[in-house]
Amino acid sequence: MERVKTGVDGLDAMLNGGLLPARPYIVSGPTGSGKSILATQFLFDGLKRNEPCLLVTLDEPPIEVKSNMGVFGWNLDHLKILDATPDVRAHKRQRSVIDVGTALDVRDMEDVSDIRQSSQIRALEVTVHSVQKMIKQEFSGRLEKTKERYKRIVIDSMTALKMFSMQGEDSRILIQSFMRFLSELESTTLIVSEHLDRSAIETEFFLGRGEIRMLKWVDGSTVRRAISIEKFRGSRFDDHVRPLAITPAGIVVYADQQVATTNGGGMKPGESLLEMRIIDDISNVLESALHKVEEAQRRQIPVRDLEVSLSRAMLHFQRKNYQKAMKAALACNSQLEQRLGVVPPPPAASVPPPPKEVAR
Amino acid sequence: MNGMPAKIHTGVPGLDKMLHGGLVPARPYILSGPPGAGKTIMSVQFLREGLEGGERCLYVALEEPPNELKLNMRPFRWNLDDMEVLDANSDVRRFEPTPILEISTEEEPARMRDLDDRIRKTPDFESREVTVHSLQQLLKNLFVKRQYQRVVIDSVTALKYFCMREFEESLTTQSFMRFLTEAKVTSLLTVELPEEGEAPPEAFLARGEIRLHKFRDDTGIRRFISVEKYKGSSHDDVVYPFDITATGAVVQSGPSKGVAASL
Repeated sequence: MERVKTGVDGLDAMLNGGLLPARPYIVSGPTGSGKSILATQFLFDGLKRNEPCLLVTLDEPPIEVKSNMGVFGWNLDHLKILDATPDVRAHKRQRSVIDVGTALDVRDMEDVSDIRQSSQIRALEVTVHSVQKMIKQEFSGRLEKTKERYKRIVIDSMTALKMFSMQGEDSRILIQSFMRFLSELESTTLIVSEHLDRSAIETEFFLGRGEIRMLKWVDGSTVRRAISIEKFRGSRFDDHVRPLAITPAGIVVYADQQVATTNGGGMKPGESLLEMRIIDDISNVLESALHKVEEAQRRQIPVRDLEVSLSRAMLHFQRKNYQKAMKAALACNSQLEQRLGVVPPPPAASVPPPPKEVAR
Repeated sequence: MNGMPAKIHTGVPGLDKMLHGGLVPARPYILSGPPGAGKTIMSVQFLREGLEGGERCLYVALEEPPNELKLNMRPFRWNLDDMEVLDANSDVRRFEPTPILEISTEEEPARMRDLDDRIRKTPDFESREVTVHSLQQLLKNLFVKRQYQRVVIDSVTALKYFCMREFEESLTTQSFMRFLTEAKVTSLLTVELPEEGEAPPEAFLARGEIRLHKFRDDTGIRRFISVEKYKGSSHDDVVYPFDITATGAVVQSGPSKGVAASL
């Protein structure tokens, strides 16, 4: 099937050629990881192919988007911008609050010159409904005038939409409906969103057909960036974390290079120092237990049950359940020692003595 | 094990061995895992196994439009022509007061071969909404008309998030599973797990749970599979690695694959 290029060669290589058309995708990552740049680069690639492209901005006013992206020297003159940034709230109650939807504001990037001033008599308020209505009006208006559909859309960002305009409503259903709406437009859409709590399932991530995750961490005194693909329905993809740089020409992904993790343990970048020490400790215990399992297998001592508990310990470890992992790993290790009949060596300074009771 | 019906195969190489032969038929099972672990692929493999044996199979799509499912499964080159797909995705919600139709109890699943290549559009003047009650009624009618042997609900998470009210979640999920048990079909229900932290409660309601795990290390994404629970049967306790290959998910449940392969 035909693929939609992201405009970043290295990323397209990771995506096995690009995104599958007419579906919504998620770009996630912490602040400053380059989400908005990536999304804009995606739109710029579309413009180069003469495809109609739409940027729905909820975070930054268009004028700031314009100046921020100016440094890359991309010609974004024909990019349509839908300004869905909320106005200054009118605090006096008699002033009517109206939905943005009724004051459609879609402009070419080249016409963006100043920040929209909040009107004296009415304040625009942004809701999912109004954003949806604005996009729909713009979409069908364009279809009528030029017989062209928008090929690429960027929503920057879903986080803003959720934070400011879904208070007190059933946000899951609102987002489901919004994602359905985007799917029915049949444009290839990038939705910028931050996943703040990894122990919760965020609706847009769950419904997005893929997730491109951007990573940022501090290594010594330098900020490092990387990118990974976490999910991509209907396609193969490169499942490594690849280094990424923000250059004067935009984002560059080095799809043939590995990310050098500081501790070499293959852990996710960005762990704090303390966590790294705990991780080191547990991996040492796990490693020594593994060696003992191999040893036992060589000597044909049955350790099947311990192998099972060891694999559980590893799962806890991978899920970052460090306490449980440590406990299980230590228990395994001491049991293995008993079966192998070796005298337990004095415990290392950083490792507490193994508990006598065996968990599980 | 007297009186226990013969187990049925899952269609995933290596998984039947972990389940000591396969699944006890006519019961609901949970297939859980974090995003991108391979739940949908495995559940379609389960239906494909049924199709090969001439069984009638139903896929209930709650989070992905059927046209995309069709495209996504194409690279595996499975013959899924006779798989029946029920589109249980809700429409775009209307904010204006327009009639909201609950998904009709007369709705028919479409055969995979007849599926449209483009997404179904929300009509201009009405909006279709899928609630757990209407879906249950619809399935009930379908089960009376046709004897399905295998059913996949993809996913329970979507059902929970979008088709019921928050305060009734656990009770309704439980009753939905009860309904599937009474219908006497072998069903596989997918559940989305968060990347970190604890599993949601619906994972504990079924007769068995197969859990997928997904981790990153220097070699990329590593996938593992474990049988967390399996009532009425013995099973393998070891966590095994699995891969998504060009022909679908394959579990490496060889004798020494367990721990040694996990690092």
